[in-house]
Amino acid sequence: MEFPAALFPSYFTAGPPREEGGPALVAGWGEHGQVLEAGPGRRQAQPAFVPRRGVTGERWEAAEAAAVPVLLPSAGCWIPSPAPEDILYRSSLCRKLQAGKSGATLDFAKQLGHFFVDHPEDAFGSLGRLLHKNFYLGNAKLKRPARNSTIRMTALVEDIDRLEARRGCPRQHLASRLRWFSHLCRDWLFEVPLGLLADCLHEELAQQWSSLLFDDSLTGGALAWLPSEDGKTPVGRLVHPGGQAMNHLYFQDVVLEELPHARGSPAQFELSGRIRQVAAGHVDGQDFVGVRSDYHCGVWRVPGKTGAAPAPLQVIRTDVPASCLTVSPHLPGELSVCTQSGTVYLWSVETGLQQLRHDPQTMFFRDHSPWRWSDFTAHPRVLSCADRTGLQCLDARAPKRCHFDLFKVGEEAGCQQGERVVLPMYLGRAHPSQYLVTTQFSMYVLDERLPLVPVLKWAHMMKAPPLFAHLMPGKPGRSHKVLLGASCTQELLLLQYWDSFWGVSTGGSQSACQLSGTPQKLHSIAECLQHLPTQLPHRQHLLQQRLSAPAAGLAATLQEDGPRKSMLIFQLSEAGDVFCQRLIHKASQPPAPPSRDEATTAPGSSPLFEAPASSPHGLGTAALRYRRWLRAFSRAWREPPRHTWPPSLSQRRLFTCRDLEGPAGPSSLQKQMRQWLRQTMQEGGRIQRWEPLALRPPPLPQTLELAGGPDPLSNRLTAAWAGDWDQWWEERTSFSMVQRQRALRERRRRQKRAQGHRSLSASFTSSLTYQSELSELSDVGPSLLSPSRPPSLSQEGSPPAGSPPVRSHPPSPAPDEALLSSQSLRCRGIPKERRKTLRDYLSVWAEGPPEPPELPGSQASQLCFPSSQSQLSSASQPRRKRPRMGF
Amino acid sequence: SSNEHKLNFKKSKEACLSYIQDALLQKQWKRAAEFLTCYVESLEKDYSREHIGPSEMIWRIGTEILWRHSQSRMKEFNCFMEQMKTLGVKRYLKVCLEHVFHLLCNGQIDEAYQNLSLAESWRFGEQTAIRDKEIKLIQAYRGLLDYCSWSKQKKILLEHGEDGFADLAVEQEMHSYFRKAAVNLKEIIKIPGIWDVFVKCYVDLLEFYGEHNEARQVLNEYAYNSKFPANPNAHVYLYQFLKRQGESKKSLISALKILHDIVPSHELMIDFNTMLQKSKKRKKCQLGLEVIFAALDYAGWKENAKAWSCLARQVKQIVITEKHLDWIQQEWNSRKDWWPDFHFSHYLAKRNWQENKSLSHEKALVAGILLGKDCKYFKYVSHQGCKARLKRFRMLKKFVTRHNPVYLRISG
Repeated sequence: MEFPAALFPSYFTAGPPREEGGPALVAGWGEHGQVLEAGPGRRQAQPAFVPRRGVTGERWEAAEAAAVPVLLPSAGCWIPSPAPEDILYRSSLCRKLQAGKSGATLDFAKQLGHFFVDHPEDAFGSLGRLLHKNFYLGNAKLKRPARNSTIRMTALVEDIDRLEARRGCPRQHLASRLRWFSHLCRDWLFEVPLGLLADCLHEELAQQWSSLLFDDSLTGGALAWLPSEDGKTPVGRLVHPGGQAMNHLYFQDVVLEELPHARGSPAQFELSGRIRQVAAGHVDGQDFVGVRSDYHCGVWRVPGKTGAAPAPLQVIRTDVPASCLTVSPHLPGELSVCTQSGTVYLWSVETGLQQLRHDPQTMFFRDHSPWRWSDFTAHPRVLSCADRTGLQCLDARAPKRCHFDLFKVGEEAGCQQGERVVLPMYLGRAHPSQYLVTTQFSMYVLDERLPLVPVLKWAHMMKAPPLFAHLMPGKPGRSHKVLLGASCTQELLLLQYWDSFWGVSTGGSQSACQLSGTPQKLHSIAECLQHLPTQLPHRQHLLQQRLSAPAAGLAATLQEDGPRKSMLIFQLSEAGDVFCQRLIHKASQPPAPPSRDEATTAPGSSPLFEAPASSPHGLGTAALRYRRWLRAFSRAWREPPRHTWPPSLSQRRLFTCRDLEGPAGPSSLQKQMRQWLRQTMQEGGRIQRWEPLALRPPPLPQTLELAGGPDPLSNRLTAAWAGDWDQWWEERTSFSMVQRQRALRERRRRQKRAQGHRSLSASFTSSLTYQSELSELSDVGPSLLSPSRPPSLSQEGSPPAGSPPVRSHPPSPAPDEALLSSQSLRCRGIPKERRKTLRDYLSVWAEGPPEPPELPGSQASQLCFPSSQSQLSSASQPRRKRPRMGF
Repeated sequence: SSNEHKLNFKKSKEACLSYIQDALLQKQWKRAAEFLTCYVESLEKDYSREHIGPSEMIWRIGTEILWRHSQSRMKEFNCFMEQMKTLGVKRYLKVCLEHVFHLLCNGQIDEAYQNLSLAESWRFGEQTAIRDKEIKLIQAYRGLLDYCSWSKQKKILLEHGEDGFADLAVEQEMHSYFRKAAVNLKEIIKIPGIWDVFVKCYVDLLEFYGEHNEARQVLNEYAYNSKFPANPNAHVYLYQFLKRQGESKKSLISALKILHDIVPSHELMIDFNTMLQKSKKRKKCQLGLEVIFAALDYAGWKENAKAWSCLARQVKQIVITEKHLDWIQQEWNSRKDWWPDFHFSHYLAKRNWQENKSLSHEKALVAGILLGKDCKYFKYVSHQGCKARLKRFRMLKKFVTRHNPVYLRISG
């Protein structure tokens, strides 16, 4: 490749960057940079000039309104990486984040607390066992002899809770009891020395926080596109990580039609670490894929023929996390590896590793980041090495002697203060001696024949530093396209540049690099959320969380189908989703005044599901693709991960299938009841008795109803009916102390019950939310009633043989206690003033025999609904509390 | 509450700016322009301390919109630029320079010249380093435009001169352009930087008036001053100048030798190699071999048929004479572990054969000598060549087979 005959003018000064820095939102607009006379000795009367930036570029327009999923979401669910809220101290979160300062307050105590709660055995195992006799966990007061050697932990826990509740309160005082306890046992209670543990934790927290601010382990991106060898069939292979821990490597064949879709099942490899980077190189008709995880790097060979299986070639292990892996575009099976200890290796599958450099210090000035990068250059034996301060090239044959500086963060390249190298990339497929370097502010194109002076510089104005870049070389006479991608903001920017602008048309010499067209923002994954149908709030939240996961990779391909040219851009998210968008090339039309994209992509409109402006087929398929993806997504989320959801019991264990099976349809009785209920509701009246008398078998209900009645005559008659009138008489005439006491207690209970009745009926009539309350109360219902049988047939103590044992009378106290505890009532959102009423009501039910007439038939059928069943299962199970202090 | 007002104002300003940015990045020029009219309010209370103030932002955004908007006209653009110049006095020269660039790219050379002259005479505030650089650039571009006028006059003069008609006024005008251009151009090329255009123009002026020594001095300074970046073009210009001056082979070779040292992959290396091959000195011949081997190390030269024929010619010559086989051996030693995969793989043999027969012929010759007659590349190409009944491939096969012992000596 020839060197440009003349370069754009620029000053050259050595030294540290002088210009004051800072992210500037619009720094990349409105500048030509410099101009150059286009071609000396032209025949024209006037000289013509070309700008470094500002010539019109190719027009590419998005075919869809949003990015479309390529693959269905994987079955396992994704565990989001920690958010600032998890690490930072609560009150300082907003303030510090807004200020953008890194001096955030880490919530050290919370994390340490988590450790104690999650690993009590590791934290206090042996002492806990030794002391467990001396710690009392009950609520009752301790008796005299025990008090000497035992302390009541519940009081301590209460104190801690109180402290927690007052967090952030300016008048917060330490409870003396807590202080006393911590003074007493801080030194010996912990299994691991507290100071050491705290040091480790603090280090880890600081690291987590810095990786949250900027995670450079993803540099380079974990997505690769391998185009097929014969360019006719639009097929390619997508190499991407997946699985819950992103430790599965997939080679998926993809057919590029209107929308790319997967063909066949992918070749899959399970690796032993999270995949950070996937790099690919095309040499001699075959692809080499390098995969980097923290401590392992591997290389695969993918034969050029479609359908040929990828073969793993070699794996290396590093002691220090690797930060870079690039594949040689020149020689098969050659890669370069960098580790965070500052070592650069040339890795050949045949000859093994060759260390080129080992230097824990940065090259040009001191920077704390251990990040290193390396890539290939135009000379197969010369590799570039980069750290945050710049790039050097070194000859693998004599790395100590032969090296030169390619790029320096300094005045040479016109850098700003605080600017750092983020991603270097060899642009060999477009121009053998050109190099891309991105920083958090700008992108530079360098020519290794003219080191230190960028041939192109442009402020990219991205909100987050571009960690991913992808080059799509243009054919001679057309611009090259570069995609820049950021991780946490999911930004995608399309740029075009020329490496020769008049050379082709006039047959003259090459000319300097030129940025053409304007940068173009592409759809991010998260942007498709606004086009999706609205979901239930919690699902919407999950969806939003999933779609706005940081980007983890970027790949693209140009597709030329005769006159129709299109560009496909794949974006990978940390959750393992691959989304794709198509850009269509608009052949040099004069820019039509009312630009179409202005009309369709205006904010607020959602043309994805309705506007088929550009692609008549694409619309349907895109919408369909979304629907399918959403379905698979919700299916994957139905089985919630254990650790994020409150513990619950499977209802399948509580009830057999037959139990849960409702009657085939509502019985005529139920129908009648419902109709009646509806009618009464319309009239605004009330129902005092649930069933028309005509429908009731007369004797039974009477008995049951009277069981609670105080009338002695009825009692006597009942006894006579049952055949034990003698006993009744005995009771009546007995004067024993015990019996009288019992009678008294009985009476008291009856009074109470009567009160309960009154207040309950009052609440029934006064409240319009009666039905919903009832359904909430139905938690107790099923324990009294087998839902498979109509209520009127339910007889106490006589379950038909073969049906599962129905707990009826008296119900076991466990669920009731749980239900009646004020905590569980509070959890269910029942206001305080109501709780007593409810408790009374429930106690009536629990103690007395069931009163079928009080139970509406409709309610019985309602019990079959899974929703109320799950309510039951979660409610009837006593809430498990986590051990607070690790005991 | 004034603080709160300040805060709110700042917030809405930021929001507006992000809307503009969004519109610009999606090429919605009209929408961006509408937002920009709102953003102009931000000038009213400018509390920002950022290094790009609102006035510069408005200038940048407005310029971008006016460039790209389909309905904008040059007149409006000029009007906007004039306003921007008064608005952002701190960046006056920068705005001027960009305005001039735009005029130049649109062919309005005279307007650009006027603007440059105006900007040059502008004085305001204290002199800073940045402003000093900008004023120098403005003068240099004015010099460039003066040079353009000069060469236009020169062309007229030469055309008319052929007719035997010399116009004194034209000549005088031309001289005045020369003086103005020379003064300004001379200034800028003293400062370290990349001034390819200015240097070329200045040297052209000097050469026309016969001041060869100064021209040589300028070019030497541009090429060899260590404060300047290692610009290959500086050496190319010097080499071209020496060639034009009819300098001796020796000085040409020494100029190219330095270029070879800094850019071994420069396209002039072919000329250099031919020059060296013709030389009778052994040292130079050896350097020639070194140069062509080094050039072919680079990915950009992989399919350069010219370079391969240079190498093939020289290798053939050495093999026939059987002298200096050690030169080849020396070069080959540092390459034998990677050239076979890089240049002589089976895949490349196939592709080169399909795409460029003469390239594959030259490469096969080199491969046959360096790697022996059993190497994949040579075998494939000679087989295909013989199958296609091409005479030169049959000759090639014969040549390589005859000289196979050479391979053993080189690799041994």
